[in-house]
Amino acid sequence: MFDLRLPSGIFFAIIGALLIFMGLTMTDLQAPMTTANVDLYAGLAMFVFGAVLLLLASRK
Amino acid sequence: MKLSLADYSILALYFCFVIGIGWKLRKSVTSAGEFLTAGHHVPVWITSLAFLAANLGAQEVVGMMASGAKYGIMTAHFYWVGAAPAMIFAGVFMMPFYYGSKARSVPEYLKLRFDEKTRALNAITFAVMTIFSSGISMYALGRMFQLVLGWSFDASVILSAVIVLAYTWLGGLTSAIYNEVLQFFLIVLGFSPLSILVIARAGGWHGIQQRLAPSMTHAWKYMGSPAQNPMGIETFGMVAGLGFVLSFGYWCTDFLVIQRALAANSMSAARRTPLIAAFPKMMMPFIVILPGIAALALTKMGTGYSLPVKGNSYDYDQTLTTLMASFYPSGMLGVGLTALMASFMSGMAGNVTAFNTVFTFDIYQGYIRKNASDRHYLTVGRITTVAGIGLSIAAAYLAVRFNNLNDLLQLVFSFVNPPLFATFLLGMFWKRATGHGAFFGLLCGTFAAAFTQGLSTAEGKGGWITGLHDFPSQMAQNFWISIFAWITCFVVTILVSLATVPHSDDRLEGLVHGLSKLPRDLAPWYRRPVPLAIIVAVTLVVLNLAFR
Repeated sequence: MFDLRLPSGIFFAIIGALLIFMGLTMTDLQAPMTTANVDLYAGLAMFVFGAVLLLLASRK
Repeated sequence: MKLSLADYSILALYFCFVIGIGWKLRKSVTSAGEFLTAGHHVPVWITSLAFLAANLGAQEVVGMMASGAKYGIMTAHFYWVGAAPAMIFAGVFMMPFYYGSKARSVPEYLKLRFDEKTRALNAITFAVMTIFSSGISMYALGRMFQLVLGWSFDASVILSAVIVLAYTWLGGLTSAIYNEVLQFFLIVLGFSPLSILVIARAGGWHGIQQRLAPSMTHAWKYMGSPAQNPMGIETFGMVAGLGFVLSFGYWCTDFLVIQRALAANSMSAARRTPLIAAFPKMMMPFIVILPGIAALALTKMGTGYSLPVKGNSYDYDQTLTTLMASFYPSGMLGVGLTALMASFMSGMAGNVTAFNTVFTFDIYQGYIRKNASDRHYLTVGRITTVAGIGLSIAAAYLAVRFNNLNDLLQLVFSFVNPPLFATFLLGMFWKRATGHGAFFGLLCGTFAAAFTQGLSTAEGKGGWITGLHDFPSQMAQNFWISIFAWITCFVVTILVSLATVPHSDDRLEGLVHGLSKLPRDLAPWYRRPVPLAIIVAVTLVVLNLAFR
């Protein structure tokens, strides 16, 4: 049986990285009701979550 | 709503991962037991999150946000009153009998405890209802993507069905459970930013309270009489109907959720599964209900967002998707839609894996072919998985053709489900309860529900016999139907049991309280069920006081 934290960690790290990239480079992307850089902050949160899962999986 | 290439890539990446997880697990499926019951070796944190995610379908997420906008914080009772106490009871009191009896399914427990006919009644109604609920949620998903994104109904139904089929076919229940955990993470991470953004824009909880009627932001204060609150229900009906009958009937007896706990790797882990799941469950209102309430506040503020209108009221079902379109830029929008797809898939995979187990073990092995090889049942399990998904698709198209199907099914479910908990309660805690008692109790409970519906009206529905009483809302009617059904089942089961021959004590060993020995739990206190249950209960009280 493989460790589920591994694929989950990779998945959120990739999505997090993609969102961070979009948040930093495509500054014209903006939702109608908010001025916050949603992609950047949500991407950071997902990247950190993914990294924590990978860290936990590697420390067995 | 328009999606960009980035949004589609996120969705595609998600599909690759779920199928990839199924592919990685394919080698572990060597027997019917592995495929259908995950062979009792799933770690407890995974079974706990799957326990929660299997219930967290797309309809739930969309529906709860709609209810938040319509009824306010009282909607949270579906989580606090209507889930957490039952989850505590399931973990502390019921799991020892389910797990200890070695039954592979809930109907099988009924066979061991009562008799064949009680099992058959439960297995067949469960199998049929599972298929229909899976089909109806498929229909709802197809309609929503059609409306919001302009996708073809056929394409979204078939695509999602094929992906769920692929990963359940490959890795069986283990694969469904593992994916449910990934789906749960995605739901939380995909919807929490929305919650934060929407609530902040509405001025925080304090700002929301200032803009809405007080009955929308207090969970208990206006429950004295049905006329005071938007749900049209009073404390007793809510606590007894939702909090006791419906909630215990679902969380303690529905095989869809119990199956996740039974996959755990020890008795202690099985007992802790619903208890650990109760923590995230109690927090879900912050992600799925508060944004709905905030959406109503934003509408009143005239900020530029307003709830979509249908006829002369709001179209509450579109709350979630319109909020996403207003607050998520491309990128996060893809994550949000993927989360929606994930919630749909976790619900569907839950239904399919529960269906194939009940069909294979309780219907096929029980009544069609008793003593075949394990390989044979593995093949049957796989074929049933395909058939289950095929039938769900058929049910979805049936819903397209008959608009009232959903209403009709909700009605049937509300007749069949409420009596169940009375049967299990008596079965597990009263050794005198007999098979005849259980069977006739269940039947009479269902009839009592139908009669209550026939004798009362609410919002113009029901009263097909005569309208003796009018309820202020359909929800109130539904809760009271459940209360009557439960009492009838309880009383009839006792009366018939007393009039029939009791089961012998040695036949009931391990199945009934008082005739079962629980192994001593030597784990440290924080890994034992009872201390966990106390922490859940305290958290629950604090939440209710905070939002009273």
